Amino acid sequence: MPALLEARSITKRFPGVTALREVSFDLRPGEIHALCGENGAGKSTLIKLLSGLHPHGSYEGELFLDGAPAQFGSIADAQRHGLAVIYQELALVDELSVAENLFLGCEHRRGALIDWDATWREARTLLARVGLDVAPDTPVSELGVGSRQLVEIAKALGKEARVLILDEPTAALAEREVATLLDLLREFRRRGIACIYVSHKLDEVFAIADRITVLRDGATITTLATPATSKSEVIRAMVGREITELFPRHAAHPGEIRLRVEDLSVAAERGGPARLHHVSFAVRAGEVLGVGGLMGAGRTELLMHLFGAWGVRLGGRVQLGGRPLAAASPAAALAAGLVLASEDRKRYGLILGESIGFNLSLSSITRLRRGALIDDEREAHANQGLFNSLRVKAPSLETVVGTLSGGNQQKVVLGKALMTGPRVVFLDEPTRGIDVGAKIEVYALINELTAQGKAVVLVSSELPELMGMSDRILMLHEGRIGGMFTRAEATPERLLAAAMGRTPAAA
Amino acid sequence: MKSKLTLRDFSLLLSLLAIGGFFAIAAPQFLSARNLSMLTVELAITATLALGMLLVILPGHIDLSVGSGVGLMGGIATVLIIHHGWPAWAAMAGSGLVALVLWMAMGALIIRQRIPAFIITLGGLLIFKGAFWLVIGSHTIPVVAGGSSNLYSLLTTFFLSPAASAVLVTLVFAGLVILNLRARRRRAALGFAVDDAEVAFLKLFVTAQGLLLFVLTVNQFRGIPLPVVILGTVALVIQVITRHTPFGRHLYAIGGNEEAAFVSGVPVPRTVIGAFTLLGGIVAVTGFMQTAYAGATTTTVGDSMELDAIAACVIGGTSLRGGRGTVLGVLFGALIMASLLNGMTLLAVAPEMKFIVRGVVLTLAVWMDVKLAKR
Repeated sequence: MPALLEARSITKRFPGVTALREVSFDLRPGEIHALCGENGAGKSTLIKLLSGLHPHGSYEGELFLDGAPAQFGSIADAQRHGLAVIYQELALVDELSVAENLFLGCEHRRGALIDWDATWREARTLLARVGLDVAPDTPVSELGVGSRQLVEIAKALGKEARVLILDEPTAALAEREVATLLDLLREFRRRGIACIYVSHKLDEVFAIADRITVLRDGATITTLATPATSKSEVIRAMVGREITELFPRHAAHPGEIRLRVEDLSVAAERGGPARLHHVSFAVRAGEVLGVGGLMGAGRTELLMHLFGAWGVRLGGRVQLGGRPLAAASPAAALAAGLVLASEDRKRYGLILGESIGFNLSLSSITRLRRGALIDDEREAHANQGLFNSLRVKAPSLETVVGTLSGGNQQKVVLGKALMTGPRVVFLDEPTRGIDVGAKIEVYALINELTAQGKAVVLVSSELPELMGMSDRILMLHEGRIGGMFTRAEATPERLLAAAMGRTPAAA
Repeated sequence: MKSKLTLRDFSLLLSLLAIGGFFAIAAPQFLSARNLSMLTVELAITATLALGMLLVILPGHIDLSVGSGVGLMGGIATVLIIHHGWPAWAAMAGSGLVALVLWMAMGALIIRQRIPAFIITLGGLLIFKGAFWLVIGSHTIPVVAGGSSNLYSLLTTFFLSPAASAVLVTLVFAGLVILNLRARRRRAALGFAVDDAEVAFLKLFVTAQGLLLFVLTVNQFRGIPLPVVILGTVALVIQVITRHTPFGRHLYAIGGNEEAAFVSGVPVPRTVIGAFTLLGGIVAVTGFMQTAYAGATTTTVGDSMELDAIAACVIGGTSLRGGRGTVLGVLFGALIMASLLNGMTLLAVAPEMKFIVRGVVLTLAVWMDVKLAKR
């Protein structure tokens, strides 16, 4: 049987990283094909490429549709060829009605005006096909997550999609909604609509997929027929490699407890549901606590909350150096000796239009004063010191941060954090999107921090990094502790199982 | 290391020379001592308000209410003096206090309740206008009883004597030279880029000529007008605040990326409220000057001044998205707006055309800045 959609030795590079390396993948007509891999394995990049978000010419290798070379120039172009993506963050306009959303961008018209009769009629047909029982004029804002997803799928059907690509479709769904969705996909399979199903949840994958392709480090590891494989084989393929010498974690000499979190529960907003449930842990001076978990497990939320930048505390106690720490504001956290280097450099980390020096001293500027005024000389010396010791590659401190490479931007983010003279350092994905050389420098820096007796909390999506650099590892699963492991206990299989909530917490 | 000068650095100066040159030819009285003295008073009023506006535009906000505020604050002070017999200083202090409270409240609403500044200050524009007319009973009230003078009326009628003017300008220039040399030495010691010696000398030389020309001209009339001294003081204070205090640094950071600033420990609400409060104080000072310049408070005082203030900021290279703008740029922007208005008045240009020309200049200036920035 010829492939409906095929990717042949695709390589996709971003500045500083190669996201996909010679990846091959094929989708047969009427097949549900699951795509599995750790965070950062390249699944999202592959999807973006298949759906035209990374247009032809931005990658090497070839795509084939029905055996003929396909060159999608844009998302609209891919949609015309029958490919539709349902993203994790749903792309619906809240203020518009279901019907308006269904035909957004390809409205039924009569002359220059919208043909409302045809719109309502067609909308009813499409909604019936996905089994969603709502009036077409319902505003999308009144629908729950599950219904919205069905609207998205109906929208794709309206565009005559032959291939549906679903990215973590069940991440936010309740169990009943998951069952509905899986039934719907099976129904589509009978009608010959093929589906690429990206998910972390192996139970679902095994319940629905015909074949499973595993990606790791941007490369295709294997493609397995579901009946002929097992969950443990898939997990092994996802984890793969040995922990290398890349991670020179020095032996730790943990001291007294610096940060203690007890029974912490947090909601995103007042009155909202809890996103973190009864989380407890402690970090000692000179120790690296790794925090892992799947996308949406609450890792970033945990750090951001402790730092005073996110959420409303529902319960629990937090102590920093023996004193209670309220989640008041980042300014208060900094004053207490806690600092956070954010995962999202461009959003939370840097003022991109300003200079390196401006950014480095931003968190410390109120302390670099003489009287009411900034002491220019002290500021310049402090900046220069970090600029040199972190080996930021730039012409001078006055270079605009936005022009630097990812690795150098990350160094500025870390430098800003270090200048505050913290006792506890939160590092959220400190090596995301930076090249290997810069990564090793970040690891050396972590060793240096703990040698100075600072406590480090390291959030990472990469298991090897987590296992290589942490003295202990906390795995989160859906806002709860999925497991706590010492360095000796941690194996990729155990960590991944804990992240998926498949085993009771060990140790 | 050297920093390069680009056309963009000079575009404001060139525009200003072009405008000045045009009016000098079209209306010879433009360059008369009397007219230039009056021009500096008008400039001082516009520029003071624009500098206040800079403080709230830097963190990415805006204030549409300052024009109405100018009228209201001038009106309150006038009514306190004329109808309630307060001494001028107390009346101005009282009115200033009201302004600080009002603007602090607007800042708090904007940042704590997350209501866009555009909306809150649009409300302010209407409310202050109505309050202004209530306060003055929609009448025209002189700032001082006929024939006499008080601290209030002196704001725009007092001139430093020619001798004092010459001394002041000399001191200012000496101060500039010393600060410049010191900053150069420090920057060089820290390995930062500094101008070539020739360029630095040239800049100071041009500044010296400008100051000399200014003082010689105003001394032919009555000396330096008090509003110019007030503007100089306000400009100095705002330059120090924006460039040399953590508060100023925070203004730029918030405008550049508010989320990153917050996570970096910048006290965002306090900083924004502080900026609005300072603006309130400047609105009051501008209100006193503008009302004194008009000689009386009347329903039209302050009309559309918010637009001139915003235009001066934008022409001077301030980004309305926040994070970019300088005191010097705003001063140039205000000078361009004030020269245009003054020159057109001399040429007896119809009011309709004045509006159109100002609009065209504003658009051209921003378009030019965008073009030059892309190079």
